Amino acid sequence: MRIRLTVNGRTEQLDVESRASLLEALRDGLDLTGAKLGCDRGECGACTVLVEGRPIYSCLALACESQHGSIETIEGLGADGLHPVQQAFIAADALQCGFCTPGQILSATALLRRSHRPGDPEIARAMSGNLCRCGTYPKIRKAIRMAARGRWR
Amino acid sequence: MSEQRFVTTTVEIEGREEIAVVEVPAFEPPPWGPDAALDTVGRRVPRLDAVAKVTGRARYTQDIRLQGMLHARLVRASVPAGRVVRLDLSRARALSGVRGILTGADLPRMFGPAVHYWGQPVAAVVADTEAIARDAVRLARVRYRASPFRVDLPTGKTSLRTGHFGVTPPETRREERGDVTAALGRAEVSVTATYRVPAVVHQALETHGSVVHWDGDRITVYDSTQGIFRVRRELAEHLGVGQHQIRVVTEYMGGGFGAKNSCGAYTVIAALLSKATGRPVRCVWDRHEECIDAGHRPETEFRVTAAARRDGTLEALDVEATVAMGVVGWPGGPCKIFQELYRCPHVRVVQRFWYGNVSGMESFRAPFHAEGAFALEGALDLLARKLGMDPLELRRKNHATEDPVKQRPYSTELLRECWTSVAERIGWNAARVRKRSTGRFVHGVGMASQVWGGAGGPPAYAVVRLNRDGTALVQTGTQDLGTGARTIFAQIAAEALGLPLKAVRIVIGDTDAGPYTNNSWGSMTTPSVGPAVRMAAEDAKRQLFEVAAEMLRAKPNQLEARRGRIWAQGGASVTIRKVTEQLGDIMIMGRGHRGPNPPGVTVHSFGAQAAEVEVDRLTGRVRVIRIVAAHDCGRVVNPELAESQLHGGIILGLGYALFERLLCDGQLGRPLNLGLHEYKIPTYADIPDIDARVVSVADPVANHAGVKGLAEPPIIPTAPAIANAVFDALGVQIRELPLTPGRVLEAIKTPS
Repeated sequence: MRIRLTVNGRTEQLDVESRASLLEALRDGLDLTGAKLGCDRGECGACTVLVEGRPIYSCLALACESQHGSIETIEGLGADGLHPVQQAFIAADALQCGFCTPGQILSATALLRRSHRPGDPEIARAMSGNLCRCGTYPKIRKAIRMAARGRWR
Repeated sequence: MSEQRFVTTTVEIEGREEIAVVEVPAFEPPPWGPDAALDTVGRRVPRLDAVAKVTGRARYTQDIRLQGMLHARLVRASVPAGRVVRLDLSRARALSGVRGILTGADLPRMFGPAVHYWGQPVAAVVADTEAIARDAVRLARVRYRASPFRVDLPTGKTSLRTGHFGVTPPETRREERGDVTAALGRAEVSVTATYRVPAVVHQALETHGSVVHWDGDRITVYDSTQGIFRVRRELAEHLGVGQHQIRVVTEYMGGGFGAKNSCGAYTVIAALLSKATGRPVRCVWDRHEECIDAGHRPETEFRVTAAARRDGTLEALDVEATVAMGVVGWPGGPCKIFQELYRCPHVRVVQRFWYGNVSGMESFRAPFHAEGAFALEGALDLLARKLGMDPLELRRKNHATEDPVKQRPYSTELLRECWTSVAERIGWNAARVRKRSTGRFVHGVGMASQVWGGAGGPPAYAVVRLNRDGTALVQTGTQDLGTGARTIFAQIAAEALGLPLKAVRIVIGDTDAGPYTNNSWGSMTTPSVGPAVRMAAEDAKRQLFEVAAEMLRAKPNQLEARRGRIWAQGGASVTIRKVTEQLGDIMIMGRGHRGPNPPGVTVHSFGAQAAEVEVDRLTGRVRVIRIVAAHDCGRVVNPELAESQLHGGIILGLGYALFERLLCDGQLGRPLNLGLHEYKIPTYADIPDIDARVVSVADPVANHAGVKGLAEPPIIPTAPAIANAVFDALGVQIRELPLTPGRVLEAIKTPS
C-alpha cells in the first residue's frame, strides 16, 4: 500500500506492506537506518523515534498508522549541526558501540524538551526503556545533566 | 632494515596459552615509561567515531543496503535431540518472492539430519524481503524422530551418559600444585561449600549477521565480528576459495562481548545463497535466535574447600568445577583463578566439561574467570567469617607478590594499591564494624579481587603512510567493538609521529585495507596492536628524519618530532608538512609489528572492587547502592574511554549478580526466557553510583607502549563483591547466582 509519512519535516510517499512496522518503513523504505532493529518486539528501545515529540518504539508501530503524526529521527535531530544533546553525549562519552545511541539520544531529547531540569527519578523513568549492553548508563546520566545545564546550548 | 629473525613466544588468550612463532622487529623503539612526556597519549579526546554514532550515520552490518539484496532466514529444529526424517519445503519454495533454498543436500556439514539442540538450523530460505523469508520459514514442514536428551548439569540423582548426545564425550582435567591432601590433613581451619553460576547470554544489541555479495570471483562480506581475519580464513575454508578472493568489512559493530569470534552459519549461508542467486544476501539473526544459537557463558558448579592457618595464611584450595558446555565449546579454565589470584602453596583443581543438548557456549567477557571468581571470593569470605577475620585483611595476608603458577615476577603488580583505593572510597573499616540492623532494610559491604592475562602478543601489524601535505594514514586490520580501539590507535600513531590527532586518519575493520591482527578478544587488542601501530609510526618517522636531517643540518638520531614540527637539538625546526612537501610524491611508508612478549616475567592485570548493598528483608530485593573499582592495567591511552570500559564490565557483572540467567526446560529441552523482556539485562534504573578508576601508570616491561588489557578485568570482581556485600548484610551466604528475591528470602529463613 502507498502511504505518506512526515519525517524530519518532509513528507515522503512510499509503498509498504500493510503489516510493515514504522521501523521497517523508515529503514527499508526511506533508508533512515539510524533507528536500529535490536529486538523487533518493543523490549530494547534501539528503534526509538519521536512522534509528535514523544518517544515511541517504532518496531511496535504500524507504518500505515503513522501517517498523521510528525516523525523525528536521529537523522533529523542533527541536520543543522549537532544538537546540544548530541554534543553532550560526545563530551560525556555516553556511547560505546553506538548501536543504542540514536534511541538514547532521542529519548533524552524528548525528556529535556518537556523538563528542563529533570531530577534523577525522572531521568530514570524516561531512560529505562532504552537498553545498552555496553553499560554507558553512568555517562548517559552525565550527558543528560550536562545538556540540562545548557553547557552545550 | 636488518634481516628478520623468527623466535617463539608465549601468548595468553583468555586463559589459553599458545606458543607462537614471531618476528623479532628490526628495531624496537625505547619504551614509553611512566615518566615519558606524551602529548596525545593519555588525553581524554572524544571518540573519533562519536559524531557518526550520535547522528545515526554509522552504518552497522544490519544497515548495509545493496542493490538487489535478498534476505535469508533459517528453519530451526523444534526438538532438542533426534533426526530430521522428512523435510518438506515445497510450500515455502512455491511462495511468491522466495528465491532459493538451502538444505542438507547443499550443506551437509551445517544442515545434517542429526539434531543436537533445540533451534539448531536445518534449512535456509532466501526471499525478496525479510517478511517473505519469515513466511516461507513458517511454511516449512519438518518431521523429526526425537531422541533422549539432557540440557542441565548432572545432579546426584541423574547421570549423564554420553550415548545420549553422541557429540563430544565429557572430559576431565586435573592439576595439582603441592600436596593438597596432606595440607588439608593438617589444616587448622577449613571451609567447604558449593557455588553455582547460571548460563547467561551476551545479548549484544546488534545481533549476529552478515551481508555477503558473491560477485564473480570476489566475495565481499559485511559482518558483525570481533575478528575480520578469522572470518576470512574460516569462510575461505568453508567455501573452498582463496583468502584473496574474500574481503571482510566491519566498520561499526554493535557489541560482541566474546560471542562474535568466528565465522557464523549466517555468513556461510549468505555466501552460498549469494552465489546461487547472483545477488547480495543478508542473513541477520533475530533477538530470539541471538538467545538460542549465538552462545552463552556456561552454567558451572564449583565445590570448594579452602584451608588456612589460624592467622589466615592460606594453606590449601581444593576445587572441583563442572561446566555445562552445550553441544560444543572450548574447555577453558574455570579454576584457573584459584591457581592465580592468591599465594597458596597447595592447590588442586579438577575441571569437568559436560556436553549436553543446548547450543554451544562461547567466550563471554573474562570467560571462566568471572565464574571462578564468584566461587573463590565467596569461599574466602566464608573462610574469613570462620577465622573471625576481616575479609580484606585475609586477602592482604595472602597477597601474591609474584606469579604463584610460574613462580616468577610480574612485569608490574599493584593489587595492594587497588585494595587500599577501594577500601578508602567505600569506607571499608567503618562499614564492616557497624552494628547490623535488624529492621526491614539491611546494609552490607563486600569486596573481591581480580587477575587476568591481558598481555596481548604477536602477531599484529600496522602500516603508516605519510601524505605530501604532512597528514598520515594508519592502516591496521583490527576492529572496534565499541571499546574505542579506533581512537586509541590514532592517538598512539599521532604521538609517535609527533602530529596532531586531527592530522591522522585511521582505517580499520577491512581485510583488504589493513594488515593482519588477531581477534579482538582476551583484552588483547590494545597491548597487541598498540605497539605495532607505534612501531609503524616510529618507522615512518625514522625515514622522515633522514630527510629532515639534511634540511636542518643535523643528525637523524638527534631529532625529535612534536606538535607537527621536527626539532633539532639546537632549537632549529621545520614543520613535518615542509618535509613531506619536499619529498613530493615520494611516499614514506612505515611498517610495524608486535614483537615477542618479555621472557621470564608474567604480564597480568589486576583489580579490586567493593560494593555496598541494601537488602529488603521483606521482599528479598537486593539494591546495589555503590560500586567502587580500582584497576591496574598499565598505561591508559585515553582515560575517558578506559573509564567507559570499566563501567561496562561492572554493569555486565551487576546483571550477572542480580538477575540474568537463561532457563531451559528440562522436560521439553528448550530455552524458556528468550528476548530482552523475559531475560532481563540491566537498564538505566538499575545502575548504582559507580566510581571506577585506574591506579596504574605505564608498564614498560610488558611492551614499549606500556599498555595492558582492560576490557575483561572489570567484570570479574563485580558479582562476587555484590554477593559478599549481601553476605555481610544478611549474615548468611547465598551461593548461587543470580541473587534473586526468592533466594534472598530463603536465605533469611535459614539460620546462619
